[in-house]
Amino acid sequence: MNSREPSDDLEAELLALGDLLDVPSGPPPSDVAAAVRARLEDAHGEAPDPLRSHPPARRRRRARWKVVTAVVLVVIAITAATPQGRAAVVRILRFAGIELRVGDAQPKPVISVTPLPYEHTVDQDGLKAEAKFPVRTPKALGEPERTTVSDRGRVVSMFWPGGVRLDQFDGGLDPVLFKKLGPPWPDYAKVGPYQAWWIQGAHPLGYLTRQDGTEIPLRQAGPTLIWQQDALNYRLEGVKTKEEAVRVAASLG
Amino acid sequence: MNDDEAIERSLAGDQAAYEVLVARYSALAHRTAFMLGAGDEAEDVVQEAFVKAYRHLPGFRRSSPFRPWLLRIVANETHNLTRSRGRRSELALRLSATTSAAAPDDPEGTAVAGDRRSRLLEAVRRLPERERQAVVCRYFLQLTEAETAQVLDWPVGTVKSSTHRGLARLREEVGNELA
Repeated sequence: MNSREPSDDLEAELLALGDLLDVPSGPPPSDVAAAVRARLEDAHGEAPDPLRSHPPARRRRRARWKVVTAVVLVVIAITAATPQGRAAVVRILRFAGIELRVGDAQPKPVISVTPLPYEHTVDQDGLKAEAKFPVRTPKALGEPERTTVSDRGRVVSMFWPGGVRLDQFDGGLDPVLFKKLGPPWPDYAKVGPYQAWWIQGAHPLGYLTRQDGTEIPLRQAGPTLIWQQDALNYRLEGVKTKEEAVRVAASLG
Repeated sequence: MNDDEAIERSLAGDQAAYEVLVARYSALAHRTAFMLGAGDEAEDVVQEAFVKAYRHLPGFRRSSPFRPWLLRIVANETHNLTRSRGRRSELALRLSATTSAAAPDDPEGTAVAGDRRSRLLEAVRRLPERERQAVVCRYFLQLTEAETAQVLDWPVGTVKSSTHRGLARLREEVGNELA
């Protein structure tokens, strides 16, 4: 036994062990393919990231293999989270690069204000050089007073007088921001062909870093419209009504 | 149809071509999700991962292999799931009931080997999360260091060091002796 490098033995044992593990076989590949296809066709290729509910709403798996649209899923998740449904349950909804944590009571407000990671003000040239995606401006608001780039080009924020701001970011595979919400529940909206959610009350907003999931509480955010368009995520904050926010959002040039 | 052809046709809007990819990788994706901690929700994770992969296909670098790129999305979805549960992901692995490659003339040796396997698996289960993930990817899923780095979104150096530390800890726990 001592003639071989011990680690080689251990590595060989681990490889062998891997083959002996009891991993339940998933559904037949053709079923998976059909279910995925159904979801993709259902979304018409334009829907935002599918919204996901989490346990225990994820229980009835077999039923879910049937066609269910992203919107329906969210509505179910939100309904299930209402006090009438089940008390004190928190649902996590992921949409447009934002994780919405919906609870049945108002979350504690964030008192401090923390800037986004590496946030700094840029001029037009700086914006072009640093943003990792094509940046748009809503025509309805005109030129922003100030523009910042954060987290090495991942987030662009524009500011207008009166506490109005537009954040745009490429969420990639993970949510970038999280919001903690209590009642009232987010309100479904549409920006042109795109699904959107309107969050009317002030709520805690935070930032999730990508690698280890560490959270940074940012600040208490005002009413916000979030939507996803052409694989980019947008959040418009500080516009007072849903109708006005949708109008501004639709003017994105 | 190889992966690249299937991807090209999927990008052109041919969903049947994408179904070929889904069917090809669904078992591996399921095994990966399960072993990285999704447990009995691996099916959901896999379905979600394939839907996301399709949406992100335009950003896929065609010169690179599809397999680790897909598994990265699976790992990510698994991570999101375990994070949403708010606790450390469990490694719900069991030895399958038929493992004892029984040597009929050596029942004692068979029992000893089985016992060592159980202890080794238990030790893997108790590893710190990063070391465990590295060990699971490298040995149970048999991914290369480079693939593991891509799947877990770690630098290759971190994969090396985590694997190394994990192996050292396992050696400490179960010893070097081969049964």
